[in-house]
Amino acid sequence: MPMTADQLRNGESAVIASLHEGDYRLRLAEMGCVPGTRIKREYQAPGGDPIAFRIDTYLLGLRLEEARLIEILPEDKGGNA
Amino acid sequence: MRRTALVGNPNCGKTTLFNRLTGLQQHTSNLPGTTVEAHHGKFKLPNETIELIDLPGIYSLFAESDDEKLVVQHLLGEGVEKPDAILLVLDSSNLRRNLLLQQQLQDLGYPTAAVLTMQDSAKRRGLALNISHLEKQLGLQILGINPRKDRQLAAPISLFLEKLLNTAAPELPPNDTESKLQRFHSGEKIKGLSLETLLRYNRIESILSACQTQESFGWKSFTLKLDRWFVHPVVGFLAFFAVMMILFQGVFTLAEGPMTWVEDAFAWASAGVESFLPQHKASGLITDGLLPGLAGVVVFVPQIFILFFLIGLLEDSGYMVRASFITDRLMRKIGLNGRSVIPLVGGFACAIPAMMATRSIRNRSERLATMIVVPLMSCSARLPVYVLLISLAIPAQQFIGPVPAQTLVMTSAYFAGIIVALLIAALFKKFHPSQERSEFILELPAYQRPRLQTVAQQAWMKCKSFLQEAGSVILIISVALWALSTWGPGDSMNQAKIKAEQAVQELECPEDLEPSEFQSQLESTFRLEASYAGHIGHAIEPAIEPLGYDWKTGIALISSFAAREVFVGTMSTLFQSSDGNVSGIRARMQKEIDPHTGKPKYGIAYALSLIIFYAFALQCISTMAVMKKETGSWTWPISLFLLYGAMAYLGAFIVYRWSLGFLV
Repeated sequence: MPMTADQLRNGESAVIASLHEGDYRLRLAEMGCVPGTRIKREYQAPGGDPIAFRIDTYLLGLRLEEARLIEILPEDKGGNA
Repeated sequence: MRRTALVGNPNCGKTTLFNRLTGLQQHTSNLPGTTVEAHHGKFKLPNETIELIDLPGIYSLFAESDDEKLVVQHLLGEGVEKPDAILLVLDSSNLRRNLLLQQQLQDLGYPTAAVLTMQDSAKRRGLALNISHLEKQLGLQILGINPRKDRQLAAPISLFLEKLLNTAAPELPPNDTESKLQRFHSGEKIKGLSLETLLRYNRIESILSACQTQESFGWKSFTLKLDRWFVHPVVGFLAFFAVMMILFQGVFTLAEGPMTWVEDAFAWASAGVESFLPQHKASGLITDGLLPGLAGVVVFVPQIFILFFLIGLLEDSGYMVRASFITDRLMRKIGLNGRSVIPLVGGFACAIPAMMATRSIRNRSERLATMIVVPLMSCSARLPVYVLLISLAIPAQQFIGPVPAQTLVMTSAYFAGIIVALLIAALFKKFHPSQERSEFILELPAYQRPRLQTVAQQAWMKCKSFLQEAGSVILIISVALWALSTWGPGDSMNQAKIKAEQAVQELECPEDLEPSEFQSQLESTFRLEASYAGHIGHAIEPAIEPLGYDWKTGIALISSFAAREVFVGTMSTLFQSSDGNVSGIRARMQKEIDPHTGKPKYGIAYALSLIIFYAFALQCISTMAVMKKETGSWTWPISLFLLYGAMAYLGAFIVYRWSLGFLV
């Protein structure tokens, strides 16, 4: 089972591996959540949802269900997907 | 006139640049989705004047929400004229994401050039860019600017735009732009578009790797430090609550001084005018009709300004986006969206811009639900009504526990609106569950120090339009009201005078009144009662009597269905408080005695009942018109008018009965 972005802990970073199919895929891609991009979980709203991620150089708030669509790889392995 | 459109990502500084170049004062703030309509302005180039068009921000040409669709419509020339060129605004601190739009746009065949904004924050994030390399890579003229700070923007940009407008557009097959845009417009092939987006990002990556370097991914930022507190499970909500409290309290404490100045100025003007005008019936139109009516509105400008100013500060600092972020979970449960918080807070100032601000909510049900509940937020036009009624019935020195009773009632009025709004949203979700996907996906911009001068200027612009709009409504209504209360059917006015003389004989003069004062007061009461206005008031009295209102209140109630703020003006006309200020009307109303019982007429139950009525009723033609425009039909505005009217009536009835039994 590959890891998804919601499973990161605050302060942890990774590299985006792929996006799940579905309606959110295009929106996430447009916002820069594309394979090879570095992603870091910064903090979450009370109750753990939504979550603020750093995507490359900016902060993006995503709901849990949206973050679950982003598959990630540990930083050292990714980077050229 | 040739046209240039400003296109770019949300929150990259398009409107700030637009305002700088055109001298206009369109609303700017530090939250994505501030601009939801097209603004037009003029800008002088060395040899011609061009039209600049400021458009809402978009991340991509794939448009879903109404503000995004508007941009595509402009690029297609649907119902509007196409621009001759595009000035792309690129946020340097987010270049990678911004270039996606550039890549999509460059296929469309518009002559395009770009300006780079936010270079200072890019530097702070450890990003270094070689602009001339980027120009070569993209085949695009690029100018680095700082629209927030540069005072000398016009000269370089006018030269830059002149060059752009004189470049020939690339030769494209006919209808090529249209067919390319339609691809995004139809929105059917999401899968294909996703793939295309990924490929475009690959290209962007290779362009940027040649001209931008990033020191490190580490990012010790002030924003993250602040956010640790503002999104904290306990501190975050406390902070949100405190911010709202400061907002409402600030409106009162800060406005106190300026309000007295306005009152004094009107009292002075009114006295001057009265001594200057001849004793004639028509003079009454000015001294009893126009002046008090206008004073009733102008006196609240300080409060309205402060409200807009404080909300402006919240938006411009970047805090409002965090408010969206922490409330999304709760809002989602009741069929709204975290993004709804921004229009809802904006609704405390005015429902009209708030209705338009809902455009950036993509899910149609969530957007509709937000629009439905926005009118329940107590807007600035209700403030005058609340202030008058609270100060009328509740002594300033009265406390309930440690809280001043006046503050408690005011806060309850606001909370009544908020709680009912949340309930209505939840009910709407139950009966009208959304079929579409709901999304949050919201950029959290870095905090910035609010631009005090800009925020103040924009708040003042809003006050000006409030004055113009309310002023013209009040002008018409106060003239009509003056005429209706000066004349009556047949010889009823003469009979009123006789009746008043009889009444003076029968009733005992209250101790705090001079006999002559008592007589003129009774006379004016009887005359008003006999006038056309009195007849109208009496006709509706049976309907409003259960709520504790008399016929005078009835007239004010009817006239404020055009706009709520008319209430105070109407009351001051009806009570002939020619100095027209709140304390003047209040003094008159407190002295008002029931001609049949000889007791004070307007007590606490009366005030509470009216406050609840105004908190719920949809008494604003402009709000209904905007809602019709945004929803495309009169169905919603009319249904809401009826629903909220019924709620207002029922709520006022319950509160009146309850407080009669409880408080008096």
